[in-house]
Amino acid sequence: MRELTFTQAINEALVEEMERDSSVFVMGEDVAAFGGVFGVTKGLHETFGDRRVFDTPLSETLIVGAAVGAAITGLRPVAELQYSDFLGIAMDEMYNKAAKWKFMHGGRLNVPMVVRAPEGAKGGAGAEHSQSPGGLFQSAFGMYVLMPTNPADAKGLLKSAIRDDNPVLFLEHKALYSKRGPVPDGEHLVPIGVAATPRRGDDVTIVAWGNLVPRSLQAADALADEGIDVEVIDPRGIRPLDIDTILASVEKTGRLVLVHEAPGAGGPGAEVAAVVADRMIDVLEAPVLRVTTPDTYFPQSVHLERLMLPGVTEIADAVRKVMR
Amino acid sequence: MATIDDVGLSMYREMVRGQAAEQWILRLIDGGEALVLYHSARGQEGVAVGSIAPLRRSDYMFYVHRGVGQLLAKGIDPVELFGDVLANTAGSTRGLGAGIVHVVDPSVGVLGQSGTVGGTFPLAAGAALSAKYRDSGQVVLCMFGDGTANRGTFHESANAAGAWKLPVVWLCENNGYAVSVPQSASTPVADLATRAAGYGMPGVIVDGQDAIAVYEAVDTAVRRAREGEGPTFIEAKTVRFRGHFEGDPQSYRGDADTAALERDPITLLADRLIEAGLATDASLAALAAEADREMERAVDVARAAPVPDRSRLFEGILA
Ligand SMILES: Cc1ncc(C[n+]2csc(CCOP(=O)(O)OP(=O)(O)O)c2C)c(N)n1
Repeated sequence: MRELTFTQAINEALVEEMERDSSVFVMGEDVAAFGGVFGVTKGLHETFGDRRVFDTPLSETLIVGAAVGAAITGLRPVAELQYSDFLGIAMDEMYNKAAKWKFMHGGRLNVPMVVRAPEGAKGGAGAEHSQSPGGLFQSAFGMYVLMPTNPADAKGLLKSAIRDDNPVLFLEHKALYSKRGPVPDGEHLVPIGVAATPRRGDDVTIVAWGNLVPRSLQAADALADEGIDVEVIDPRGIRPLDIDTILASVEKTGRLVLVHEAPGAGGPGAEVAAVVADRMIDVLEAPVLRVTTPDTYFPQSVHLERLMLPGVTEIADAVRKVMR
Repeated sequence: MATIDDVGLSMYREMVRGQAAEQWILRLIDGGEALVLYHSARGQEGVAVGSIAPLRRSDYMFYVHRGVGQLLAKGIDPVELFGDVLANTAGSTRGLGAGIVHVVDPSVGVLGQSGTVGGTFPLAAGAALSAKYRDSGQVVLCMFGDGTANRGTFHESANAAGAWKLPVVWLCENNGYAVSVPQSASTPVADLATRAAGYGMPGVIVDGQDAIAVYEAVDTAVRRAREGEGPTFIEAKTVRFRGHFEGDPQSYRGDADTAALERDPITLLADRLIEAGLATDASLAALAAEADREMERAVDVARAAPVPDRSRLFEGILA
């Protein structure tokens, strides 16, 4: 199998889907000749030209809303927001239009679109460029929120997202862009709504999202040396949530630690904790713990930013705590 | 350019259809059969009808909360309209009770209405982008009120439409009020069409009470859009005869309005048709009576449909 970076994997997904389907196009700020501020769309403009890869004005409301308009009229837009924090600017377009247009108009229109948005803290981008806003969309019932954590999933999930008839928010963690990993040759699709279990174990279940999946796996390795057998589940997103896989794992382990970069309040773990408490409180052998960023905002200082991010130590400590 | 000889009578017919539909909706509300908040279009029929007549069936339309006339003129089935008003399964939304607010039928180009007014601006730009991308020759008509014109979404959408020469017609139905707030209190310009200059598109002001004038302005804009010359901003000056919604006490309305209330677009068009020898009082009355019978029949069919059960709540959320 080939090794690709996360960026290359996403780029490959875009190229393949644009080649396959002429109704797929890419728009956003600086995505054309410049190739995207994170370099994800490099080369697309050269290959596909002005019609299918174009720069938009600095207009987030337009980017998301126009994607909805294009989607309900037969196209499959892939729109890029430069930073996922800007979803707040286009919240009406995302939350009320992309997610609800089908339902509120009686189900007669499909909204097959993808909004790609880089999320997470990386390199001191500050409070308005470092967020992980996926949790805001837990109640966006007409929409999917996907969060790949490795190059193979990034490629396979994005291809599935582009082919899906529903709107998809595709969150890409900025710290993962340069990470390499194996990506299968040929057609590679990852189904939407199916959690991955990158590590099996019997003692504790960790459910981790985004950039904290690799860290949770590192913590699990360290804990194995202490004789603690950790299962790591990567839901690959927030909606749809593969709760069955999580419940089955907790049934087995009786212990749950939830790990994500978004703050605890309103983060994806809160919902999982509630559902687990509701459905299997009798199975739990310890309180459900969350490892998240604290209740404050990302600073511009790289030094302080590092102190915000849950590390391998915090994840391992939480696991030890539920084992006591 | 088509004239009153070509389109006058068919526009009159659409006007009285819209009016008849509105009267039936008001009856359904008064009788307690329909539990909807209704925004009357009375007084604005010239804009509704004059703007739809130049469109083809395949052209797209995003309408407004005062949109009964537009919807019917574009080809929405009256049974579906009344079904939506009655919140039963005969409706286009199969019982969501969308009133007129979310009636949709992609087969006649009706792409919906936004609950957050002005939410359709970027969608209209996107639909126009799509028409251009597919080289389909379709045009998008996006309607909105003067109050809604102040949304930031308009700026982003008009700017992109201007920059990309998108086939969209921005049609502002300026009735002078956003609920109770007069235009003069909310914007520094008297003519909203002057804003068009900033987006590199023609800004056209038209008498919204004159359906033929609206027709001509929209027709010119539609042709321009189809020929790849880009968007147009049309401001139709009109008058809202009734309250913002049914039950609005209208205490905010000044004396100056009373004169405006005398220019009824339906009578104005009737007079012109009669003057041109295209109709008589009797032939126009016959059109109105026929429209009323059509709507009554549609109401009867719609009334017979059941309301949906709870499962309807969970349908159509996802594809
Ligand atoms: C974004 C948003 N703000 C406010 C409202 C509430 N609202 C609905 S209609 C309306 C007035 C709209 O005025 P205008 O655009 O002039 O249209 P008109 O009702 O006069 O036809 C308001 C404030 C809304 N639905 N959406």
